[in-house]
Amino acid sequence: MIEVKNLVRAFKSGDRTIKPVNDVSFELEQGTLASIVGKSGSGKSTLLSLLGALDKPTSGDVVVNGVSLAGMPDGKLTEYRRRDIGFVFQQFNLIPNLSALDNVMLPMEFAGIRKSARSQRARELLEQVQLDPDKHVRRINRLSGGEQQRVAIARALANEPKLILADEPTGNLDEQTGEHIIELLSSLSRDHNTTILVVTHDRSLANKTDRRFRLQQGKLTEEPARNRPAVPAAV
Amino acid sequence: MSVLARSVGNAFRNKVRTAAVVAVLAVAIGLALAMLVANQAVGAKVQELNASVGTVLTVNPAGGQGFEGGGEPLTSEQAATAAGVPNVTAVVGTKALRLRNAAEAAAQAAAGQTGGPGGGQGGPGGQSTTTLTTSLTAAVDAGSLGNRNQAGDGTTGSTGATQPARTLPITATGIGAEVDSTGKALELMEGTGLGDYAADSAKALLGTTLAEKNNLKVGSTFTINSKTFTVAGLFDAGTTFGNNALYVTLPAAQTLAELPGELSTMIVTVNSMENVDSTKTALQSALGTDKADVTQGQRNLETAVSSLDSVKNISLVAFIAALGTAGLIILLIMVMLVRERRREIGVLKAIGAPNRTIGLQFVLEALVLVALGSVVGAAIASFASGSIASALVSSSTGTTTATAGQRGPGLAGAAGGFPGGVPGQGGPFGGASQLLTSVTASASPGVIAAGIAAVFGVAIIGALVPALLTARIRPIEVLRGE
Ligand SMILES: Nc1ncnc2c1ncn2[C@@H]1O[C@H](COP(=O)(O)OP(=O)(O)OP(=O)(O)O)[C@@H](O)[C@H]1O
Ligand SMILES: [Mg+2]
Repeated sequence: MIEVKNLVRAFKSGDRTIKPVNDVSFELEQGTLASIVGKSGSGKSTLLSLLGALDKPTSGDVVVNGVSLAGMPDGKLTEYRRRDIGFVFQQFNLIPNLSALDNVMLPMEFAGIRKSARSQRARELLEQVQLDPDKHVRRINRLSGGEQQRVAIARALANEPKLILADEPTGNLDEQTGEHIIELLSSLSRDHNTTILVVTHDRSLANKTDRRFRLQQGKLTEEPARNRPAVPAAV
Repeated sequence: MSVLARSVGNAFRNKVRTAAVVAVLAVAIGLALAMLVANQAVGAKVQELNASVGTVLTVNPAGGQGFEGGGEPLTSEQAATAAGVPNVTAVVGTKALRLRNAAEAAAQAAAGQTGGPGGGQGGPGGQSTTTLTTSLTAAVDAGSLGNRNQAGDGTTGSTGATQPARTLPITATGIGAEVDSTGKALELMEGTGLGDYAADSAKALLGTTLAEKNNLKVGSTFTINSKTFTVAGLFDAGTTFGNNALYVTLPAAQTLAELPGELSTMIVTVNSMENVDSTKTALQSALGTDKADVTQGQRNLETAVSSLDSVKNISLVAFIAALGTAGLIILLIMVMLVRERRREIGVLKAIGAPNRTIGLQFVLEALVLVALGSVVGAAIASFASGSIASALVSSSTGTTTATAGQRGPGLAGAAGGFPGGVPGQGGPFGGASQLLTSVTASASPGVIAAGIAAVFGVAIIGALVPALLTARIRPIEVLRGE
């Protein structure tokens, strides 16, 4: 269960203040698969980074399972990111000189999981995102964009987080592989009760989620639930 | 993949830069180690010199030394006075005798060479020119030095006649304790000491070469002035001159000289090195400047020690400076690396890496670089420390080396010149080669290990600052490209 209360993130640019996230409030039940759509620069990544405790809001609060992130000390926030959050970055943000396997094992290492268990689980995750086994030990900077994206997804799943925040997880994937990733995510929310919030431009992906949000000029609005006629995307 | 493995991997991420950093570090570390080794070597040398200067003062009659000079002889009463001076732990009296081979003395007398105005077979003047005959033959050939020295010995009246080959006298010293004429403990190779040194016994200690020359062993007998002595032990003084000598008890020597209660020198031991100077002054005034000369064994060693001490300080400063440089290099490199990997550090934080893990990763990476630098640096140091040490010593102690050079002729006493000179001990330095030997000895694994430990300590401090800087990087950095 995640509650977002009057969240604001303001940036100063010159003498102007912009608010990509301006008084956003919503709630997500545990196990929900939700999506956010919106124009480029509308503040989707900014909102996600606030939910993932990568950034601190100008005002407002995020409450995860009854615990408020506002006022939480940095050490606790680190622990929150390590244990409860799986973040798929828009830019992947993998460690370039490490192998795919090592990248997926990193969060598990920080969580103190034994080495043999780490590599076992990392291999399984890489298989789940359909990365060729012979590419498991290849260095990240020798993988294609789509391959890197899948490694980033596998890394986000490593510590079995309660909340997965995925910023354009299928942006670099072909239709078929994208479908597979969507399948993987919805099975996680269904079978493992994982809450998943996906930022996407992909209509078909958005249409498969339980709840759909639109971010526009810092304001979040919810679109009608599934099976109702979809509002045409403005993109 | 562990933190350590990641650190090692990161250290080699940019191989060209790693090589450059290691090279620069190696120079600094090599210099630091070389300076440490030089410092230790010089320190060891200073200690050795201080130990050899020792705490011994020598008292000679005023105006005389050895068999030369004039003045009034020392007496047993003066020995008692000396023993009463504060900080004096022991006073050993000696009585020196000059022995000539009986057969040769007779031959020379027959050749009419002994009747000089100076009188007798003795040298000029002198408080203790007691020359006696013995059955022993000197172990040292006269050589050209000996002939020159002996020719001046009261033979002014001889001209024209072909002079027979001369031999050297043998020094017999009566000693009040089992020490040599400079106060050093005698090193007995065979047999025993003389037992009671205060008794007029018929036992003697012979230098190894003297005993060999005369085919004497422990238990053999020989005569001095027709009195028979038994060889009680053989000693090795370490020098040719020192081994052409024999020791009897002090009363025995005084009886032979028919001068009871008279001393040639007194060897005064002071309780500690710091008190040597003050005790010397006190002793001088207690005995009276007109009665006795108090000298410190090897006075000019002090200049050597003080200039070596300054070399020691220079090398210490250089060691610390080089160490600081190594630390600074690490600091700057790590600051650069942290700045460069800001985004990556942000990623690690974003996926939940604790600050200490990231800090540790950077410190370990710095240590990998230092370890490589140390290996290369230790190799540089092992080649360079010898020449650095000798360069340091020769450049800053030029005057001392000159002093050592002047001591050369004094050391020639070993070749049979003036008895009573300082027996050969080696110069203050014994030359650069000896220092190099001690440098090599000081470049022990222990010293190198201590130096490398210091380097690692400084490197940890140097790496800690940038490692702590990583704690201030916010995870949001990952969302913003540089
Ligand atoms: N650190 C910052 N300082 C100033 N402005 C910022 C900062 N970060 C983001 N912004 C601005 O906030 C707005 C929202 O950016 P954000 O990255 O959230 O957009 P987005 O919706 O994810 O866009 P896209 O779909 O292109 O990824 C942009 O106008 C951006 O310029
Ligand atoms: Mg974005």
